Amino acid sequence: MRSPSARIETVGRPRRGGVLLAFVLVFCVLVLSAQAPARGRRGSVLQSWILTAAAPMVRAVASVSRAVSGTSSSIAETWTARAENEKLRRELQKRDEELFHLRAEVRQLRGENSLRASAPFLPTVVGSAPVLLLERRAGLQSALIGIGSAAGIEGGAPLAVPEGLVGRVVIAGRTLARAQLLLDASAAAGARIARTGELGIVRGDGRGALRLNHIPTTSRVRRGDLVESAGIDGIYPRGIPIGRVESVSRGSQFLDIRVVPTAPFSRLTDVLVLAPFPARPAEGTSAAR
Amino acid sequence: MKLGPIALVLAGATALEFFFGGSKFRGAWPVDWLLVGTAVVARWGGSGRAVLTGAAAGFLEDALTENLLGLNAFAKAAIGYLLAFASVRIIFGGALAVGGVIALCSLANDAIVAVLRFLLLNSPIVLGTPDALWRAVATGATAGALEAAWSFPWREWREKRRQRRLR
Repeated sequence: MRSPSARIETVGRPRRGGVLLAFVLVFCVLVLSAQAPARGRRGSVLQSWILTAAAPMVRAVASVSRAVSGTSSSIAETWTARAENEKLRRELQKRDEELFHLRAEVRQLRGENSLRASAPFLPTVVGSAPVLLLERRAGLQSALIGIGSAAGIEGGAPLAVPEGLVGRVVIAGRTLARAQLLLDASAAAGARIARTGELGIVRGDGRGALRLNHIPTTSRVRRGDLVESAGIDGIYPRGIPIGRVESVSRGSQFLDIRVVPTAPFSRLTDVLVLAPFPARPAEGTSAAR
Repeated sequence: MKLGPIALVLAGATALEFFFGGSKFRGAWPVDWLLVGTAVVARWGGSGRAVLTGAAAGFLEDALTENLLGLNAFAKAAIGYLLAFASVRIIFGGALAVGGVIALCSLANDAIVAVLRFLLLNSPIVLGTPDALWRAVATGATAGALEAAWSFPWREWREKRRQRRLR
């Protein structure tokens, strides 16, 4: 038979846990309420501190992870080295031919480019950064990247890969930064259909695809059209590929356009960090004007 | 369960989260290690410790991936409490029951976070995506496998094997 004190112990524990749960939940609600007015634009100082404090551990674990996956990849590659060598030789020959043509084109374009006054719109790459963590939860699509304020990165810097636009930095710690991916349910970017020149807004659907909104039903957009950044949102520079039109259906006022991103979001390993757009004037110059 | 092992579980879960999160194969088996850590503490540590572990794991997750601090902390603290409350019944159901409940908890975590994001940030509610379902399956299967490995009679199995060799 249980002693009275043991009974008190068994009855008391769940109650104590319940009180603790209530306390923790109320604390969470208070913390959330305190942050809510900021609407998650740039994040809080506390978050920035936590990012900075977590950086050494995150980087150490990520480097081990990269080393392990790199070793496994190199072991697998050894088996296919000969066939790959032959394939690469053929590709190299093809590339040499392409290079010859491209050099001629570059010479021609260089002359044309000097005439264009679009230099401020061209993206400037600040640096590249490894993707340390990718989170997809309930519409949220964010990434933790291994670069921060120590490298001159600040909130709002666009991220891209050679295939296309990836997202933007939301909050930067000293050596780590958190980024919102373009696929996030609350992400949006000004976009332009490259073939027709029509402007719209690309939004993430939180499920791995994009929607192009505000394109009128009179548009001649069709499946396969390239959608690129329009440079009208004050965040992303103009002319970076975003995706290709996958399907077009007629809505009441606008077309309902589904876009498949060109950037390989599920296989992101590194990203390029671009200079914030529009470029901020150097300190002192704007004040002088 | 004492505080030292709880800290160890939390550190291990965080390390695993980044180890797999930093790899290019992250999508292949996307386990929510922090939820598994909370479930481990809930199994052995009681409701109070499960709540605190869930809150700590959630805060860490929020600081690194979310727009607001406290979304995952809220969800994981509540899940930790429920898991601790129901742990005895679940454990009697075996590894399959544990896996199923943890998979449901993963989906519940997503649902709580989605509702809080909708209320506080006006973000659209996105639930039941293939990614979320796959993560629930991976998290549930991993938790089930850990439970099976823990409850397996290793000592008897080793003894039987030794005796078979001696014959």
